[in-house]
Amino acid sequence: MKRLLLAFALWLPTLACAGTLQPLAAADVPVLLQPPAHGMRILALWSLDCAYCEPNLEALAALQRADPREIELVTVTTDSIQLRTAIEARLHSMKMDVYPARAYAEASPERINFLLDPNWGGETPRVLVIRADGSRRGISGALTPAQLHKLRP
Amino acid sequence: MRHLLIVLLCLLSPALLAHDGMRMEMPKNGPELGASAAFDSHGRLWLVNAADGHVRLRHSDDDGRTLSAPVEVNATAERIYAEGENRPKIAFGPHDEIYVSWSQPRAAPWTGFVRFARSLDRGEHFGDPLTVHHDRAEITHRFDALAVDGHGRIVIAWIDKRDVIAATAAGKPYLGAAIYYSWSDDGGASFVPERKLIDQSCECCRIALARTPDGEVAAFFRSIHGDNIRDHAYAVLRTDGQASQVARATFSDWQIAGCPHHGPGLAIGRDGIRHAVWYEAKDQPTIWYGQLDPGHAPEHPLAIAGSGASHADVAVHERTVWVAWNQVGADGYALMLRRSADDGAHFGAPREIARSSGAVGSPQLLLKQGRAFVAWNTATGFRLIEVPR
Repeated sequence: MKRLLLAFALWLPTLACAGTLQPLAAADVPVLLQPPAHGMRILALWSLDCAYCEPNLEALAALQRADPREIELVTVTTDSIQLRTAIEARLHSMKMDVYPARAYAEASPERINFLLDPNWGGETPRVLVIRADGSRRGISGALTPAQLHKLRP
Repeated sequence: MRHLLIVLLCLLSPALLAHDGMRMEMPKNGPELGASAAFDSHGRLWLVNAADGHVRLRHSDDDGRTLSAPVEVNATAERIYAEGENRPKIAFGPHDEIYVSWSQPRAAPWTGFVRFARSLDRGEHFGDPLTVHHDRAEITHRFDALAVDGHGRIVIAWIDKRDVIAATAAGKPYLGAAIYYSWSDDGGASFVPERKLIDQSCECCRIALARTPDGEVAAFFRSIHGDNIRDHAYAVLRTDGQASQVARATFSDWQIAGCPHHGPGLAIGRDGIRHAVWYEAKDQPTIWYGQLDPGHAPEHPLAIAGSGASHADVAVHERTVWVAWNQVGADGYALMLRRSADDGAHFGAPREIARSSGAVGSPQLLLKQGRAFVAWNTATGFRLIEVPR
């Protein structure tokens, strides 16, 4: 019983980290855009109403799993954090709830869209790649295999 | 020890259940920003939005400065799409009938029914809502657009996924979704069985409807051409049994396997000129103005606005054309306007006519006796801004 309890107690924080959807407010954007110490951070922008987003997220997850040391993957939905239950359920069904996840803390997405990337009009899926050298690249639409290949570190 | 384990399990269960629970909760901090406004023939302003499962109707006799108490359009609460490209719609019949439509989310993601209700006593009461389409599959019938033609027919168009689902089941390729439409010949008591306007159209962008000088209803919408080229098409929605002719009307060649969430705007002058605004981001985000010449590139194309601009609307009165849009920056939203005094051949410089630090809905240009107004629903409340002359 003690072992079971210990295993259970160790498992709880994992669940809390993976499944906790965090709001993304305008003031949080600069931190998210800071270059990582090494490799790259991929912001995978998606929305509940985007049928193209699920396969795109799965492809990005596969890319991250192939090189977890060099790729940090963060999912960001442009939907309001007020839709938390729906967003968390979708992340879970897509098996994306193992990654840090953010949802917009504003009722309409345009301002945070603009702060994340002024050359982005809000179309989803959108991928924003931030490399350790400070360079950034945004790609709209479901990624083609060639585009995914180019993203590799 | 056993008790401790039970307590831990009890603490954990809500977290697990949350994943299997309702996917469809609505925002808890006030209504969403999707709203529509319109002036009736008496100059009264009417506004519909959604709150607590009800489409609610308010009116104003002082151009939006004060609003009446709300009337619930649907007596029984139901879920209502009222964000992004979705918002309840309002239109009027020839004898002051009030028609309201909206899209109702269903249980599964990306599903919905198009709903309609009418008031025959100037908004005092509404009849029971009806579902417009005869198809009752639990799929997308969403992004409704509502207009009344010159004969008083109520025309509703929407995005419909029945064909993509059938094609996928048969292992056939299909991009996007179809557009279907229906109409009512009896003032909204019933709607004729829907018909398909076009296959393989964009699945997430609002449809613009406008009345032609002949009194027909025309649609302008983001369609798909070739391999996910998401340009726009134009069609008059025929209600005489004839097939509607759809023609590509923009040629930006923006290719995207994704959801632009960005539908166009359309206003047709008495001279028949089809004034249109649309968004594309082939090279960089751009709002375009142009005069549609279906089958050919638009005439008088003009890049109205660029980065940070979104959700433009267009209106025309005689030779004056207005374009309004949201312009976002780091410090909030500006409501922007450009005006043409020569039927869209040239436009003046962009002008900021209002500002909001909080979130905003899509602007909507309204006309009253030749004066232009912009209906702007913001996080701090609804605003009607008269366009400076």
